[in-house]
Amino acid sequence: MAIIGVGQSKFGTFIDKGAKELFVEAFEEALSDVDKGIESREIQEIYVGNLGVGGGQLGNFASMIADYVGLAGIPAVRLEDACASSGFAFRAAVLAVQSGACDIAVAGGIEKMNDLPRERLRYWLGVSGDTEWERLAGMTFAGVYALMAMRHMHQYGTKREHLAMVAVKNHKNGADNPKAHFQRTITLEQALNSAMVAHPLTLFDCCPTTDGASAAIVCRADLAKKYTDTPIYVLGHGAGTDRLGLYERKDFTALAATTMAAEQAYNMAKIQPKDVNLAEVHDCFTIAEIMACEDLGFCRKGAGGKLIEAGETQIGGRIPVNPSGGLKSKGHPIGATGTGQVYEVFKQLRREVVKPSRQVSGAEIGLTHNVGGSGGTAVVHVLSIGERK
Amino acid sequence: MNSGVVGYGAYIPRFRIKRDEYLKAWGSFGPRGVEEKAVAGLDEDVVTMTVESSVNALKRARISSNQLNGVFFASTSAPYAEKLSSSTIVASLDGPSEIFLADFGFSTKAGTAALLSCLDFVSSGRGDLGLVGASDASQAMPSDSIEHGLGAGSASFVVGRNGVMASVEGAHCSSLEIIGERYRRHGERYLEDSGIAAYTEQAFNQALTISVTGLLTNLGLKAEEFAYAVFQQFDGRIAYDVGRRLGFKDNQVSPSMTVTKIGDSGSASPLIGLCAVLDVARPGDRILVASYGSGSGSDAISLVTTDQLVERRNRAPLIEDCLAQKEYIDYLTYLKLRRMLGAR
Amino acid sequence: MAYISIPTYWKTLPQRYNLIGSRCKSCGTISFPPRDICTGCHKKTEYEPIRLKGQGKIYSYTIICRGGAPPEFSEQERLGGSFGVAVIELEEGPRIVAQMTDCKPSELGIDMKVEAVFRRLYEDDDVIRYGIKFRPIRA
Repeated sequence: MAIIGVGQSKFGTFIDKGAKELFVEAFEEALSDVDKGIESREIQEIYVGNLGVGGGQLGNFASMIADYVGLAGIPAVRLEDACASSGFAFRAAVLAVQSGACDIAVAGGIEKMNDLPRERLRYWLGVSGDTEWERLAGMTFAGVYALMAMRHMHQYGTKREHLAMVAVKNHKNGADNPKAHFQRTITLEQALNSAMVAHPLTLFDCCPTTDGASAAIVCRADLAKKYTDTPIYVLGHGAGTDRLGLYERKDFTALAATTMAAEQAYNMAKIQPKDVNLAEVHDCFTIAEIMACEDLGFCRKGAGGKLIEAGETQIGGRIPVNPSGGLKSKGHPIGATGTGQVYEVFKQLRREVVKPSRQVSGAEIGLTHNVGGSGGTAVVHVLSIGERK
Repeated sequence: MNSGVVGYGAYIPRFRIKRDEYLKAWGSFGPRGVEEKAVAGLDEDVVTMTVESSVNALKRARISSNQLNGVFFASTSAPYAEKLSSSTIVASLDGPSEIFLADFGFSTKAGTAALLSCLDFVSSGRGDLGLVGASDASQAMPSDSIEHGLGAGSASFVVGRNGVMASVEGAHCSSLEIIGERYRRHGERYLEDSGIAAYTEQAFNQALTISVTGLLTNLGLKAEEFAYAVFQQFDGRIAYDVGRRLGFKDNQVSPSMTVTKIGDSGSASPLIGLCAVLDVARPGDRILVASYGSGSGSDAISLVTTDQLVERRNRAPLIEDCLAQKEYIDYLTYLKLRRMLGAR
Repeated sequence: MAYISIPTYWKTLPQRYNLIGSRCKSCGTISFPPRDICTGCHKKTEYEPIRLKGQGKIYSYTIICRGGAPPEFSEQERLGGSFGVAVIELEEGPRIVAQMTDCKPSELGIDMKVEAVFRRLYEDDDVIRYGIKFRPIRA
């Protein structure tokens, strides 16, 4: 399976654009991204991720999208796995092509979040954990990740400074990303002194709420060269789930769904974590990036703090993490994040990143890691320049 | 009456506000003799407070909730105008689904009315064990002087025939129609009163004179034969005034005067006072309890303690333990906790 | 808009009011809230109800501040200030997530001993939803 083109809208706040308009932007960009050209009528299936924040078109969302991009008629489905919706949409497109059900499919995602008043929006931020028990205990998912952070700090000595370093790094990367929601750097002091949201997580430890859309065109590997001389191959994929409520899990310092997904993806791709040259991981909160690096095997369990402190996840470091700016700075339009990560890795592996300072040099294998809510679902993809390692 | 108190318990919410805070805010503080008062937290109401005091009462009675045959709840500040609070209390205590429920209200004598009704319920044999719970956390306009004294608290009693800690010798009740003394219309949130101190005092005296004097006459008792006299407490003075008028000494009244620390606890007031007395009474002590109901009357009850009291009273927190658990708040916080500021 | 309906809330009153969990008769695993498929033996099995005592210690906690409260609790946060939410390891084994009450958030700590208490959680559809919170055990 290969990817032959990707597109992404700018991530941010767009009062004048709805879900349909944002998706068309991403879709059209993906089509024109195909080097040797592609007609939209060559797309055979659509898999679109969307949580449905704000209500709107909750039923038959995929049909609305297919219609709006001029493809009414082809099979289309909306997938929902909270913040991992488009990661799973991408996986579904890959599986469809892998199974032979179709040759070319589009996977993408959209979310409109910022046309709601804050209180209404916070309902939607509390629906992806255990709604009945965690939300009615008084938490949105910031609180749930805060519970993880407290244990990580208690068990491994991780400090608030480590969390802040993740925010600083991702803002630094996002500042050079014209598609990012926030394009400004921040200092460690600013991160540490910002308003507390759910102790120990401050405003700067939390990703923003974002509007945005993304898309990727997936194609049979043996057909890819018809569309581009430099397709990016999907070497492996994996997915998993975990107990929905954090309180039901044994270990608060790791996401078992991530570990499971990564193991499957690495096995399929026949690679080790050390073979990964760059990764877009799910940093909905700074602690999530620290835990993800451990769960994905980039460092030992508990050593995520030391990893960021040593600068190893900077662009130019041993394992650049979130060169796009991550969810923190690039933004987190819930349904669009997964294929947004695919967009970044595709651009990086093809050396097409606009600002040279953000280009990871010599990367051959990239990884995307997309998590739903507080870890109820997770999906990992291994992407590569070559058809095998 | 062959029924009596087999268990008792109280609950005072944690927050307290001092009279100084009112002086800073308004330049005055209405109720005489009140140093500070209790304030219910945002997540508390008369139902949750009754659950806490009931747990303590059940502990002292050494019974489990599934043995109860009736629940008698009293409050003038219940959360629903229509929906029983007693059923919530039964559910929270994991009580039986076959049980008699009765909710009392409408005046600050609701607590003693509930207690007398429960005593009759058990005495008549219709039930073996009953639970009485009285709680209040009333509200008035922040600028009205009646608001200054309104506090919060709860008292519960288990009533039965065996293992009685305090037996009931008798009761005598009065009815008056002193309109406008203390009232709250349907749909209104805030309590009002006549604003005339002399009118209130006259009502209080009239109601209690009839009930207390009648009780003493019926039982052939004199004031000095009582170890304790517990009266309804709006402030720190009126109970002493009426007590002296009826022939009681201040030292018979003072052990029950929780109002100085918790404020006016409405229908729970004389019953919290009773708990304070049961905490220190010796077997064979005679106790008078007299309530006053918002211009409409009074219930006077005479109880005598037994050995069972001393044996079981340390199984749950004493009033002094409840009073010791406290956190002071300022006036601004008070307004927020009472939802008088910033709530829709 | 995502919310918990009255019947949904009512169904869980034995858990909300009384901490009633279920013990699997095959493997002894205690679930709170109760489940149809036992998480110990992964089968649909026979259960007996067990009333958890509500005594335990804090396994992890956070302090919810202005931006972190869901709408059901935003009035509480606005009027009452920041509040603690904890995952508590109950004596009997299961963990429960619940709000802390009757304490300043700064008093909270991992391993702190706590006890269950019956309180108002929130209001919705004009109906009061009561439930269990936890407070520190004080001497």
